[in-house]
Amino acid sequence: MIQIRADRSRLWMVLGLLAVLHFAVRPRLGAPQVAPDFLMLALLLYAIRSRPGTAAVAGFLVGLAADAMAPSRVGAAALAHTVVGYLAAWGRAVFFPDNLFVNGLVIALGVWLRNAILLFASGSAGGNLTMALLVWAPLQAITTALTAALVLLLFQRWLDIRLEA
Amino acid sequence: MAPGSDRSLSRRDNALFVLCVALSVVMLVRPDWGNMVTGMVRQSVLRPFLWMQQRAEESRTSRAAFDRLRAERDSAAYAAQFLPSLRSENQRLRDLLGLGKRLTIRYIPAEVLHQSLPTDGRTLILSAGQDQGVQPFDAVVSAEGLVGVVRFVEAERSVAFTWAHPDFRASAFTQPGAVFGVIAPALQVSGSDQLLQLKGVAIRDSVPLGTLVTTSGLGGVYPTGIPVGTVIGQASEETGWERIYLVRPAANPEAATQVLILRNPKNAPVGPAFAADSAS
Repeated sequence: MIQIRADRSRLWMVLGLLAVLHFAVRPRLGAPQVAPDFLMLALLLYAIRSRPGTAAVAGFLVGLAADAMAPSRVGAAALAHTVVGYLAAWGRAVFFPDNLFVNGLVIALGVWLRNAILLFASGSAGGNLTMALLVWAPLQAITTALTAALVLLLFQRWLDIRLEA
Repeated sequence: MAPGSDRSLSRRDNALFVLCVALSVVMLVRPDWGNMVTGMVRQSVLRPFLWMQQRAEESRTSRAAFDRLRAERDSAAYAAQFLPSLRSENQRLRDLLGLGKRLTIRYIPAEVLHQSLPTDGRTLILSAGQDQGVQPFDAVVSAEGLVGVVRFVEAERSVAFTWAHPDFRASAFTQPGAVFGVIAPALQVSGSDQLLQLKGVAIRDSVPLGTLVTTSGLGGVYPTGIPVGTVIGQASEETGWERIYLVRPAANPEAATQVLILRNPKNAPVGPAFAADSAS
């Protein structure tokens, strides 16, 4: 299991840094469909250290912000982030070891699941849905997971985790 | 709360989850409430973050813009040497050909603040708002053609619905042929590109492949003549009361980084401006 010591202030600093990266750096990367989702990463890092209820509320708030930034179907992002936040917190108890690969895999699955729920809840067209689910969502999940691995390696002391070699 | 200490799903956790899901569903069912809440979030909590993103978008495009401006300046400096004679010659040629004066369309340039969500491209946050003179239902175009329409306007920003939004509709007609129909997002895709469909075309009318589709101006939202796309095929229509054509969009909202918000009177045609640009 992830070794977690309570040092919330450092966690919040990392989450704040990810929020800044999301708005200040991600636009410079181009390709918004593929670029890593730093906000989603922050949510998942928070969710796996919290109780499911708290993670659901955090997911709802992040989703509300996402709805405000892309109001295609308001409420869809809030629903998607709530479910993913809740499941990430709940799933941590089941299968979340101190392994970098598994951490990355769970984060990638979280991004893909968020995109899937968001697309279904916002009523995507058939062909476009296939492309979004099978091409763009996996690519974004991979870039976010790679970013997560980098963040975990760089800030493992701040995040108070011990990753297996 | 000690993370990881209690692995059971408590009643409180479940209650919070159900509450959040219920609030999300309420916003889905009542979009007017949802839009009000998200509008408040954009103008308060997200305001500094969106400002940060706008600066990032501007700096990303500034290098390309600088190179383009330098090239344009060089061209302008060269052309300025011959400007008076060019102007008179241009006017004389236009008179000979029976062309009117080139349109001067009032527009507001805006940066597009793209988001990381898969639904980005259906709606766009634009970096111009009420302070710059943007109003709801102003048409949004790129150099290639129609992008969408402004729906919500705030002081410094506005939100546009693009043609990829499921609720998007626009009255359009073909050029040549003047076959009228309604443009809407299509279910089909071509490669990774989403397509449009021209619906409501009368059975007696047929449109050849490659025909240009532009806005018709009917409905009073979009000016006449904005390129929408090109007809690439015919879709099946089960009831047999109309023809439906597949249209490859002229502009791609997901790739747009800078757009123009037209402040033109709604009934004024803007087609010649696009024709002049594409001809040059």
